[in-house]
Amino acid sequence: MRLAFLLNGEQFETEAPGSVLLLDLIRGCGLWGTREGCGVGVCGACTVLVDGDPVSSCIYLAGCALGTEVWTVEGVARREPDLVEAFIEHEGLQCGACTPGQLVMAAALRARGKDPGEAATREFLAGNLCRCTGYRSIVESVRATLGS
Amino acid sequence: MDPDFAVPSSLDEAVRYLEHDGAVAVGGGTQVGLLLRQGLIEPSRLVWLGRVAGLREIQRDGDGSLLIGSAATLAEIAVSPLVRSAQPMVARAAALIGNPRVRVVGTIGGHLAHADPRQDLPPCLLVLAAEVRLLGRKGTRDVPLRAFFRGPFETAIQEGEVLIRVRIPASPEHTRGCYKRFTPGTSNDYPTVGVAAVAEIEDGTTRRAAVGLGGVAPRPLLVDLPQLAGRPLDATALNAAGQAAATACDPASDQRGSAGYKRAMVRLWTERALGACRP
Repeated sequence: MRLAFLLNGEQFETEAPGSVLLLDLIRGCGLWGTREGCGVGVCGACTVLVDGDPVSSCIYLAGCALGTEVWTVEGVARREPDLVEAFIEHEGLQCGACTPGQLVMAAALRARGKDPGEAATREFLAGNLCRCTGYRSIVESVRATLGS
Repeated sequence: MDPDFAVPSSLDEAVRYLEHDGAVAVGGGTQVGLLLRQGLIEPSRLVWLGRVAGLREIQRDGDGSLLIGSAATLAEIAVSPLVRSAQPMVARAAALIGNPRVRVVGTIGGHLAHADPRQDLPPCLLVLAAEVRLLGRKGTRDVPLRAFFRGPFETAIQEGEVLIRVRIPASPEHTRGCYKRFTPGTSNDYPTVGVAAVAEIEDGTTRRAAVGLGGVAPRPLLVDLPQLAGRPLDATALNAAGQAAATACDPASDQRGSAGYKRAMVRLWTERALGACRP
């Protein structure tokens, strides 16, 4: 099918089956920032924004993105470089495998417009697994971007 | 062979697309995506309901019942003021499913049609006497949820039919509900045991009580508790309820616990969920 949507702010069109996973479509375009982790929607490494909502692109059918606005970590980092700065400043990463997903979640949370407090921030991020940091520095990085 | 991907904008169109042999309806696609990826299904066509007009609406009917369109997402249900005021247990249970990324995509129709016996909403909807509306070429039919789940991943939906709506009748006055899920691993895991309890209690006397159980049988179970009627919901009554639920369940041993452990947890969490329904 003809798949058309906005990708990182630019019109994107391709011919692909609607049943293709959004993750594979995105990575096939050379946008390798979006990672495949668990492959079953649990770990959050493949998080992208669809119409502003964070979704697991590893279990998201590309056909469902028809006519939407998709942002990957590359676009988010370009659009909101201060998020990246916050993760660097607060050392919100170690190996970096989960970082693209954490950054996209940070953008999604900030876009909601108000600081939900630490407990709700932690709950929002609870589905994005990190095996290095123990989460504290990630939460601090995300918290630092709120209200800015 | 990749399946076709149909994007109907009306229910009529959706039903026409579903007449195709091997067609599968898709709500948000979180489960269908997984099943495709794991090679567990090989549909000829996917019929995505995400663009069907009006299918994600949540409304209150004239008789007070709650009508939830099958394409409403779990996230929408969790924050809906209508759901929160009419059936807070359903809103709270929806907010516990998976993680925010799954809830924003997964729909109530897909959740029910997938019929994984460990899911969170079926026990809640069973105790609330919900029914689902199925639409096919020959028209619609309403199926009470207690007749909907046939077994693991098996429902009353027939070929060519699509789940379009969930109806939850208004609960009688003095009714309270509580859903509790026990996840000894991580909180975003499927529950080892999920218990939804409702109790109608007037002047300290129970009129009706029931529990719905998830994760402890090949399908979600409804356990009516007529033995609790006409008496206070005290420790003795809770104990009897826990016993009845533990007897009714049929758990299997797996990585979330042995059958005996799950049965013990059904007893404990039934007591806790029902106890929390006391005014």
